[in-house]
Amino acid sequence: MIQRLLLLCVAIWAVTGCSGPEKQLRIPFVVLFDGSEIGCVPSKAGPSLSDLRFFVSAVRAIRDDGVAVDLVLQSDEQWQQADLALLDFEDGTGACDNGTPATNTVLRGTLPAGKYHGLLFTIGVPFEFNHGDPLLAAAPLDDTAMHWHWRAGYKFMRAGVRTADDGFWIHLGSTGCEGTVKNITGCHFPNRAEVLLPEFVPGDDSVAVDLAALFRGTDLLDTRATDCSSGRAERSCEAPFRALGLDFATGSVSNNQNVFLRRTGQ
Amino acid sequence: MIRQALVLGVVLLIVGFAGFWLFERPFEWAIDPALPIPEVPVDNPMSDAKVELGQLLFYDERLSANGTVSCATCHIQALAFTDGKARSIGATGQVHPRSAMSLVNVAYASRLTWANKLLDKLEDQALTPLFGDNPIEMGMAGREPAIAELLRSDDRYKILLPKVFPLDRDPYSVVNAVRSIAAFTRTIVSNNSAYDRFLAGDETALNEDASRGMELFFSERLECFHCHGGFNFTDSTTHANARIDRVGFHNTGLYNIDGEGAYPADNTGLYDMTGARRDMGRFKAPTLRNIAVTAPYMHDGSAATLEEVIEHYARGGRLIAEGPYAGDGRRNPFKSEFIRGFVLSDIERDELIAFLNSLTDATLLTDSRWSNPH
Repeated sequence: MIQRLLLLCVAIWAVTGCSGPEKQLRIPFVVLFDGSEIGCVPSKAGPSLSDLRFFVSAVRAIRDDGVAVDLVLQSDEQWQQADLALLDFEDGTGACDNGTPATNTVLRGTLPAGKYHGLLFTIGVPFEFNHGDPLLAAAPLDDTAMHWHWRAGYKFMRAGVRTADDGFWIHLGSTGCEGTVKNITGCHFPNRAEVLLPEFVPGDDSVAVDLAALFRGTDLLDTRATDCSSGRAERSCEAPFRALGLDFATGSVSNNQNVFLRRTGQ
Repeated sequence: MIRQALVLGVVLLIVGFAGFWLFERPFEWAIDPALPIPEVPVDNPMSDAKVELGQLLFYDERLSANGTVSCATCHIQALAFTDGKARSIGATGQVHPRSAMSLVNVAYASRLTWANKLLDKLEDQALTPLFGDNPIEMGMAGREPAIAELLRSDDRYKILLPKVFPLDRDPYSVVNAVRSIAAFTRTIVSNNSAYDRFLAGDETALNEDASRGMELFFSERLECFHCHGGFNFTDSTTHANARIDRVGFHNTGLYNIDGEGAYPADNTGLYDMTGARRDMGRFKAPTLRNIAVTAPYMHDGSAATLEEVIEHYARGGRLIAEGPYAGDGRRNPFKSEFIRGFVLSDIERDELIAFLNSLTDATLLTDSRWSNPH
């Protein structure tokens, strides 16, 4: 009896790949500007949020043996699919008056048991999901506010801050696409940002989104410079793209981003 | 017994569907047989009920965030479905960088809007005015439930939608509203102008001025027809039996801000999408049907009259002497090879305009098939 039980245990151990049970965990995100958390409601301290929504995909954690392991997101038919999530920090109030009340600031998923130090993810929608019909897509790709109809793909990120009437916003997404809507064959400027946070402990740490870093090279009080919508003629895109680790000239990852930071604790 | 009933049920179901499929009256295009049949996406076949529903929705201001604008606000029938403004204004007052395009013969457009080589279907284009937020046009982004609620509650929509989309479990969807609007828009075909009557054999349909203007229009001297050719007067034209995907974008030398070909930053044409220098200032040639009623002209409404437009082409590019957009468009390095300039007498200019006037189709501007049904 005991022998058989032992055999069964060995069999389970072999099938599950030496990993033991999976660990459910949360990865919360917070929005900062110069170290302080900001929201849509104006404050005296600095600019307020006017928009922040972005897609996260290809979430992986770095196991202590150096292997990047997929963090599988829980499908919830609103914010998350297995490999794609929409994070939404604006609640439609204050400076975010073009937004919607619902918010989602936490990734929820599972990792195989193990020790992890490091988090990787992509800001963007994978190419194979980026060019379908938003009216027929599953959540969160059914959000028309995140779809860029005339660019035939999604806005990977919409982010903005405002001080009184002055502000700046960015819409990030693939440009220079070829083909026709629903038959897109490729995009010359993918504009997907890659985030690597070394030492990040999934389940213990949080991700801070530093909008001051995103807009460091942008004059937020210059009324002539109001936005960047990833267009090729927009010089205003160069600085925020660099902050996201993207070369505006090629649309590819060129340097380390400095907008997303590890914050210890949750 | 139960099995027999089941078999009978399945047979009846198949017969029912077959009957539905066989006896549903095919859609008949109310267009001149001389014109080709427009291309229709396989997932959005035409039907009379769908067109009727689309017409109601096209004129429904409840499809904007604050209930102030409908599709028809920027696409006014009497103005050949343009709005008479240099730049259109959205529900919240935001000014669009571009002028509303005419919807006349949009069913034949191989690409939609002024400078987008990706957009080839009305079902996809409709999402930009409905949901776009830069600029806000109708402002419905994130308000899809409100659209579904409107479709479900309105007396006419709640009856028409299940009729138009009988196989849908829930017909009250945004995609069905969009498909209906697209179907209605495809019926806006112009084929009853004096020029069409002339083509059909009525030699008196064009007066002498217009006839001479037609010769000028189709001459190698003026070169108009290279971009504004064919039955639809634009080289970006397609139809159900088209063999090739005809798409044209052209820099006509409207601007040359830096001497290196630059257009105003908010309107760089195809360049904004592709980032290729050669695409600077390239815009689609619009159809010239009903052109006389669609002033002001060009993608940004920067030419007030047809006389001004002709002057620009005669010069081979526009000279802007001063201001932020100063520059000589004639020297734009990306200018189309067909914009070479020509000499035109005042009489010839008036004849050319007489021909352009002969492309106006009074039926299209007034017929109840396309007017406000509410």
